[in-house]
Amino acid sequence: MSTPAAAAVRTGVALREALASARESWTDTATAGCAVAVAAALAPFIFGGLIATDSLASGAYLALAATGLGLCVGLAGVPSLAQGAFVGTGAFAAAHVLRHTQLPAELCALIGAIAAAGLGTAAGFAVRSLDAVRVAVGTWLLSWLFALALGALPWLSGGAQGLVVPTRRLFGFSPTPLVHYELAVILTGLCALSLVALRRGPFGLDLAAAARHRGAAAALGVPMERLRVGAFAASAFVGGLAGGFAVQLDIVADPTAYGPLLSFELLVAVLVGGAAAALGPSAGVVVLGLIALAARALGSLAGVPSSRFQPMLEALLLLAVLTTGGNALVPAAIASARRLLPERRRQSRSAVHAPGRREALRADELSKRFGTVTAVDGVSLELTPGSITALVGPNGSGKTTILRLLAGALPPDRGHINLGAHELTAASPAERVRLGLVRTLQARAYFGELTVLEHALVGVNRTRRHGGAVRALVSTPLYRAENRLAEANAFAALEAVGLVGDADRPASELTGAGQQRLLIAAALATNPAVLLLDEPSAGAAPEDLERLTAILRRLKADGLAVLLVEHNLSLVRAVADEILELELGRVVRRGTNGRL
Amino acid sequence: MSLAVQVVFTGLSAGGVYGLIAIGHSLIYRLTGIVHFALGDLIGLGAFVTLLVAAGTQPLTQETVSGGRMTLAIVAGIVACVLVGAAGYFAVVQPYIGRSAIGWVAATLALGFAIRAVLDAAFSRPAYVFPDPIPFRRVGNDGLVKILGAQIHVRSFAVIGIAIVVAAAASWVLQRTWFGRSLRAIADDPDGAAIVGISVERTRALAFGLAGGVAALAVVVAAPGTPFETGSGALLGLKGLVAAVLVRFGGVWAAFAAGLALGVVEAALGTGLLGHLPGLASYRELIPLLVAIVLLAARPLRLREAVD
Repeated sequence: MSTPAAAAVRTGVALREALASARESWTDTATAGCAVAVAAALAPFIFGGLIATDSLASGAYLALAATGLGLCVGLAGVPSLAQGAFVGTGAFAAAHVLRHTQLPAELCALIGAIAAAGLGTAAGFAVRSLDAVRVAVGTWLLSWLFALALGALPWLSGGAQGLVVPTRRLFGFSPTPLVHYELAVILTGLCALSLVALRRGPFGLDLAAAARHRGAAAALGVPMERLRVGAFAASAFVGGLAGGFAVQLDIVADPTAYGPLLSFELLVAVLVGGAAAALGPSAGVVVLGLIALAARALGSLAGVPSSRFQPMLEALLLLAVLTTGGNALVPAAIASARRLLPERRRQSRSAVHAPGRREALRADELSKRFGTVTAVDGVSLELTPGSITALVGPNGSGKTTILRLLAGALPPDRGHINLGAHELTAASPAERVRLGLVRTLQARAYFGELTVLEHALVGVNRTRRHGGAVRALVSTPLYRAENRLAEANAFAALEAVGLVGDADRPASELTGAGQQRLLIAAALATNPAVLLLDEPSAGAAPEDLERLTAILRRLKADGLAVLLVEHNLSLVRAVADEILELELGRVVRRGTNGRL
Repeated sequence: MSLAVQVVFTGLSAGGVYGLIAIGHSLIYRLTGIVHFALGDLIGLGAFVTLLVAAGTQPLTQETVSGGRMTLAIVAGIVACVLVGAAGYFAVVQPYIGRSAIGWVAATLALGFAIRAVLDAAFSRPAYVFPDPIPFRRVGNDGLVKILGAQIHVRSFAVIGIAIVVAAAASWVLQRTWFGRSLRAIADDPDGAAIVGISVERTRALAFGLAGGVAALAVVVAAPGTPFETGSGALLGLKGLVAAVLVRFGGVWAAFAAGLALGVVEAALGTGLLGHLPGLASYRELIPLLVAIVLLAARPLRLREAVD
């Protein structure tokens, strides 16, 4: 068979597989989403007499921008207050290009989106490692910076009158409000679909984990900073695209339209509609539209322009949604629909172990001082495959500090750390996890309501090679194949700690000891050679201790090198091969089990 | 020389107001770990309540209002600020402390936009001229005095003086009074403060009110200098936030000094750095904002030990 023919056959097979997997993962939510999309596309023909089509089109672009913001707020759990500035960047960049070049309209909007993505990347980079308070402040300042810049710099904004934008054909159609509306609906639909694909993939799961417990995500090697920059860039790109097209609908780029108020309105849309649901932001924009109608009615009663009432009603609505503490619109609708429909059972629960890694960890002369206190003073140790080394000693003797030095959470003042042939002393925690060195945190460091299986999958994500956001978006054959393997690996990790039966339960429903075992499973899912355990017996009842003993013995039999920081001496005696006793940061006694 | 003197005095009088708002932002952040995005609008509310009591919503006809009515108006403005600020604490902040950041961020923003919408509905003209609480016109040459060749508004001295007195009072209250000690105890450890009998919620609510009310006083004194809009409060709140970010939500005097510095830098940039770089004049407000963002981002990463 000739090569093109073979390629055609392969493509056919891949397409058939893609179809089959789409059918397999088709849910009632997807059916509902399709129905909503069709209804949205038909809206101008239904409401034609009630609402002007250009208002509908503006609203649809707003929905697109809000859906983009959903990526930051819903997926990454980050309060971004700069989406208005990203939309404005797209609008003004597109307006300048339209005025100064003969480029097609779509390309101008795309350039606007790219400019916005550039600003979004810079903003994401600036806030990549900040806590939520500082992210909110930073993005709020950016939002003001952009608004004040438009006011102060006529070369950018065209002065008080703004920039008049020439109109061009859109995808071969004359640019009527109806064409704009349908384009915005299609783009919003695509964006919502991408959101769903990303949320299910490794990118979304890692972000969700990092949003729920930073420390635990860092311990599992989740590259949080990179993910956050990506979320901001993508969110800004979508906002900029909305701005770049909307400015062609408005015909003029208005410098007063992209201030903090727009950022606030987009946030209201996302929170009212539901940050976690792909169609939530769009539903929120529909609600905002209804509010605008109500404000107009109120305004005509009181004889003042409606713009005076609209922000107040929006603020009141948001406060009402926030204070009732309930679900936003779309998640609430999905939850009530779920109660009516039969639940689907997971079919495959096959467990596949990743090929194990066998490497020893050596630490030489580690020291760490905090101010005048020497927490760790020249400690050397070696963790060999198939053995458990226990660190014991009173509180404050430096056990956890050693563990954190080994895991890369703290830089040592002196000393070296090697894993097999790799020098790790300067490596980041994420790099260490990739190379096969992982730690668990002490109790309660789990990812909230993520399911038990999802916890393990966050660990497995560190071993994936074809799990990038772009592959997840287009769902390549490699990506789908790796998905199946990832799930099987996650089940193998759950099997090792006896949690397979709880795979679909939220981790918050497990007992304290169950959560401890889940943390071990998530760490095992990264396929480590060396496992560092911090007080795994904390809060364990006697029967939990027996279980834990069995788990640790099995890890040893599987060839892992384990470091156990532990207060419970009976557990240490039951499993440890070597015991190091610490006092004031030094090893005071070192012996094999039974001789200490 | 005269231009430099002009810049220093204009800058300090604007900066005094920024500084008081920065103190409010710092205090609130240290007390609760949140940033009050509605603080500026709250101050705007205080200013407009003062205007309402002093002169109504009509255009101002007389140059000054009688002393008694003006005093009453200022008191009414501050009381409104304190009441709405404290109520705002219970409504939009307290439910979210220690929980999702998105909750309080959105709720404080909503409070701010709601206040501004109310002001917009009541005060429909684009800008208002405030009555002068003190008849400065009668001092010097129609309210101006000449210092080292520069024409300085007498009002500037009053604003700077009042700002310094208020900042000193805030510092004294925090250091020396029972209320201040309670605030500091809450900032250190809310649970510990509750155990020793401090009513954490009431103390915090009062601080939220006072943070706005005190700044409103300075705004009312400064406002007659320029047209005041319903959105001016929000802009002042932003400047105060920038100053607070510059000193990383530090103590009373640090925040106040940052506000003064911000005022002077803005004034200097507004003159194109005294005419040396005239192109910079239009970047007067942009440069400090950009610096604040960069500083916020460049903050050395201190991974909380609590995470482990």
